[in-house]
Amino acid sequence: MIAETNPGESRPDATNASTSDSREMDPAAGSLHFEDGIPGFPEQTRFALVNFVEDGAFQMLQSVDDPDVAMVVANPWMFFPDYEPELTELDQIGLEIVTAEDAVVFCPVSVGEDGILYMNLLGPFVVNARTRRARQVVLIEGGHTVRTPIPAPVS
Amino acid sequence: MLVLSRKEGESIVIGDNIVVTVLEVRSGQIRIGIDAPRDLQVHRHEVYRQVLEANQDAVANARASADALRSQPRR
Repeated sequence: MIAETNPGESRPDATNASTSDSREMDPAAGSLHFEDGIPGFPEQTRFALVNFVEDGAFQMLQSVDDPDVAMVVANPWMFFPDYEPELTELDQIGLEIVTAEDAVVFCPVSVGEDGILYMNLLGPFVVNARTRRARQVVLIEGGHTVRTPIPAPVS
Repeated sequence: MLVLSRKEGESIVIGDNIVVTVLEVRSGQIRIGIDAPRDLQVHRHEVYRQVLEANQDAVANARASADALRSQPRR
């Protein structure tokens, strides 16, 4: 198990969710339901957001059924304020997203061999905050890449 | 792989409710229209592959990524 949770628990413990962003939700409220899994992991349909660093900027998206399937994710707007992912009508309908407030968005993060952290802005995860239905969408417009360097923190 | 020849404006039907139509053929490029159920996701293959491979990479690197974040606080 990658995230720091107590082994033997059926569901990863997730507390201390940051409330600094109204778009974030309480991960303890339940798992996210990815009806079709995610690309590369079609069998994994239930994921939980697990905190593993204190500041809450980054979380671990972890499969409920296979804890080895986990990745770091983060709110893209913390690093890319101008990011404007445009959902297709199909994704909006599939997720039953009516207004922007329904949608919670976070993006995969991965460290490169160069030690730099990269964010995948091409394939954001979109969650309907009301129903907890989720999918990883593939953006058509915007020229986003799966490997955008995360800017160094401003100190 | 099933191979079919179609002209501009002609379609093929996949299953009961997916219709793929060749809209336009012009200088090495074709425009395709897809009528499919609303819950069916349709992607450009090469773009979908990028996201799939990025997911595999992010999962393989999850522990290293978490360690990198712990060792260098970002905020």
